[in-house]
Amino acid sequence: MMKRQIPLLIVIVVGLITLFGHFFSNQGIQNFVDNDSTQWYDIIASFAIFLGALNLLKLQLMKIYKKQNNWQYSILAVLGFFFALFAGFLYRGAYTVSLSGVAVENHQEVAGIIATGTHNNVALITAGLEGNDDYTIPMVFMTEGGAEALGEDLSSYGATVISPVQWGAHLTVKLGNSGSLFWWIFNYIFTPLSATMFALLAFFVASASYRAFRIRNFEATLLLSAGIILMLGRVPVGQMISPWFVGFIFILAMGAVIAPMVKNKFITVSIVVAGIAILTVWGVLTGWDSTRPAIFYFPVLQEWIFNVPTTAGARAIMIGIGLGIVGTSFRIIIGLERSFLGEK
Amino acid sequence: MLTAELLGAWFSVFLTLGILSYLYDDNPFYKAAEHIFVGVSAGYWASIYYWTQVQPNLFGRLWPALPEGTKTGFFHQLWYGIYHFLGYISSGSFPEGGIQGHAEIRMIYLIPLILGIFMLMRLIPKIGWLARWAIAYIVGMAAGLRFYGFLNSDVMEQIKASNINFSGNGIVLLNGIIIVIGTLCGLLYFFFSKEHTGVFGKLSKVGIYFLMISFGASFGFAVMGRISLLIGRFNDLIEYSGHEFHNATFWLLGIMILLLFIWAFTGKNKQDKAAA
Amino acid sequence: MKKFIDILIKLGSVDRRYIFVLVGLSVLIPLIWPINIPIRATQQSQNVFNAIEGLAPNSKVLVSFEYGPSTKPEIHPMSLALLRQLFENGLKVYATALWPDGLFMSADAFGTMESEYDLEYGVDYVNLGFRPGNEAVVKGIAADIPTLYTTDTRGIQITAIPMMKGIHDVKDFDFVFSLSAGYPGTKEWVQYACDPHNVPMSTGCTSIQVTEVIPYVEHGQVKGILAGMPGAAEYEKLVNHPGLATGMMAAQSFAHLVIVAFIIFGNITYFVQRKRDQKK
Repeated sequence: MMKRQIPLLIVIVVGLITLFGHFFSNQGIQNFVDNDSTQWYDIIASFAIFLGALNLLKLQLMKIYKKQNNWQYSILAVLGFFFALFAGFLYRGAYTVSLSGVAVENHQEVAGIIATGTHNNVALITAGLEGNDDYTIPMVFMTEGGAEALGEDLSSYGATVISPVQWGAHLTVKLGNSGSLFWWIFNYIFTPLSATMFALLAFFVASASYRAFRIRNFEATLLLSAGIILMLGRVPVGQMISPWFVGFIFILAMGAVIAPMVKNKFITVSIVVAGIAILTVWGVLTGWDSTRPAIFYFPVLQEWIFNVPTTAGARAIMIGIGLGIVGTSFRIIIGLERSFLGEK
Repeated sequence: MLTAELLGAWFSVFLTLGILSYLYDDNPFYKAAEHIFVGVSAGYWASIYYWTQVQPNLFGRLWPALPEGTKTGFFHQLWYGIYHFLGYISSGSFPEGGIQGHAEIRMIYLIPLILGIFMLMRLIPKIGWLARWAIAYIVGMAAGLRFYGFLNSDVMEQIKASNINFSGNGIVLLNGIIIVIGTLCGLLYFFFSKEHTGVFGKLSKVGIYFLMISFGASFGFAVMGRISLLIGRFNDLIEYSGHEFHNATFWLLGIMILLLFIWAFTGKNKQDKAAA
Repeated sequence: MKKFIDILIKLGSVDRRYIFVLVGLSVLIPLIWPINIPIRATQQSQNVFNAIEGLAPNSKVLVSFEYGPSTKPEIHPMSLALLRQLFENGLKVYATALWPDGLFMSADAFGTMESEYDLEYGVDYVNLGFRPGNEAVVKGIAADIPTLYTTDTRGIQITAIPMMKGIHDVKDFDFVFSLSAGYPGTKEWVQYACDPHNVPMSTGCTSIQVTEVIPYVEHGQVKGILAGMPGAAEYEKLVNHPGLATGMMAAQSFAHLVIVAFIIFGNITYFVQRKRDQKK
């Protein structure tokens, strides 16, 4: 009962309350659904993250202990984990220095000292001093000693106050080009790693397009054509491709497509030549307008593809997925779906 | 002079080039960067979630800094005694006097605290089943939220959106008709309770064509997105190749190429010896 | 001729590392030697611009940052362009984040704005920060903001911030803008906040997300869309402030041309190979 029935009961009760919270006008239930239940959800979701982090630590430590394949790299994972935790929980690494009561005639000198100490722009600092009597120096110091050192240099010009940034706010505090230790980890370790992992995919997409993307049937042709038109039409270079050039290529491509179907080659050639002739005459009459014919102009063509057939396909998928999720949610709420308990 | 910014720039370049080195082959630089990413990400996410949710919204409701003049009794003394003990462990998380943000103690928040602790019990095999209670809450609430959200916005509103604007001009009318036909035929394709033959088969074939155009557009956008990210990375590498960062990109690129060459060469020798 | 066809077929199965080098160069060269290519705004970007321009001064706009460093090149330029338009039009900006990384992105964006405009925190803009919970957070914003956000990112009590007076839920905002890179993001704002409470919204999102959001845009549930980095460049042009995205469009264009060339060339080799196999 503890392992199956109670969790099922929780799912059913919470699911029903959340769903019917939209339709009840009872103050107590509405309050719980709109406020407390979402807070509880957030809190438990946070513990799920802690679980993931601890599980990761456990797996990496086991790998090191058992000296499994590539266990040496797991040391780096564990060190990285503890370094981030150190910056998040143990070492605030965020001090600010504020300066007040600086005489106007000393502004330039003080700005010079601050600019040298913080690698900032003198003009910006001077403007800041002139605009604020209580001026916060645009730098977050990772050590109290660093903040005190600058404070000492400035003590003869005005009153300096060194303040540690509040716990919690220390995660994201940033002044100028500096921040706390946690911010440093985010900016110089997490960001490049995260961004580059995704950027790698650009190369693999290109490689896959070249080696695997083949026009084997009509559906693949549609997919490829839509992709190419969108890729070219969405970027500025697409505007520079003449629609007349695209038109001529289209006619030649049509000729290549109908050639195997029409036995008489003379008919095929005639159709292609006629197409080219019509397009040429049209071009001459319109002075080879760089944005006409619109049907061959990539920016206009991609916009139509984006707004019409893509919308239709995406809408069909959206409605289909929506119905599927509604069905699955209903099954969960009435207790039929038990896969989250590890049951089939 | 070694500043945090300069040190950070060199770290950033090393890690970026380490990940990009995967394009040559799976190598020690890539493995090192990958493992650092895994470890730092876990610590990063744990810190963020704790300071933005657990500390202010859970502990802040259980041990708020009560307004002056609030009547306190024995229970309050006992309850805040626990808080003071926790404050000795971490004065940052549990500052003196209570956590700012709420005006009254909400003992009902012991429920998510207990469920959260149950979630962590997953790590202990014997009592790992306790996590099911916490997961049940999350699953139940997500199901209730999504039922309404998807039914309203993704089904009903989209069906409404498929109506044709007959008051528009010829092109608007034509586009509207194409969208309706495409949506209906696309939906027909996903109906697998009937065999796709005859008229039904032909209509679902039309549906496939619309879906293929949609997938082609998705492919185009996917390529666009990935190239954008690559541009971002290259921009940073170009910035860090400058004199103010002591040409970090050039130095690290040169060193890594040299070391990869040695690694590849020694690896090839080992392979040849093993084959022999 | 036969030798030429042999070379063509061989190129069809070339080592992928050569392809990587060509892609890398197609992106790197325009970045090192920038080329100015004129940008033409699409109708969707124009719709976003018009929606913001149509807001009265002092209107309250909720801007949600749901992107991180991995998608910063696509969305951060949009954030900056959007904030410029909002501040220049005298609109009040309320920032939230559904992603933890969004917290840093918003701090970065506002830091840039502070250096360009004379802004007063708490009067011109406020940064409420990140709360975990995905759609539950959106639902919380739709229902009761003061309960969800007790302090802002600077640790200041919400009740002490002047521009938070009178803000109780999403209906108190005149417009919502989602800067989205995935889940949770635009979809969740539509489903749990803007649709149920009829609050107009718009979005700037990564290219990959665009086809997912387009049905909402077509129906008017979302007023226009900024699609990826090209969308950001178009928006920078509309707000008359060319920035990061504009500078990167040449590289984007050339990379696309190279990939399209790869696709076409790959198919040519495929057809040549197929014809040869059929003859055999």
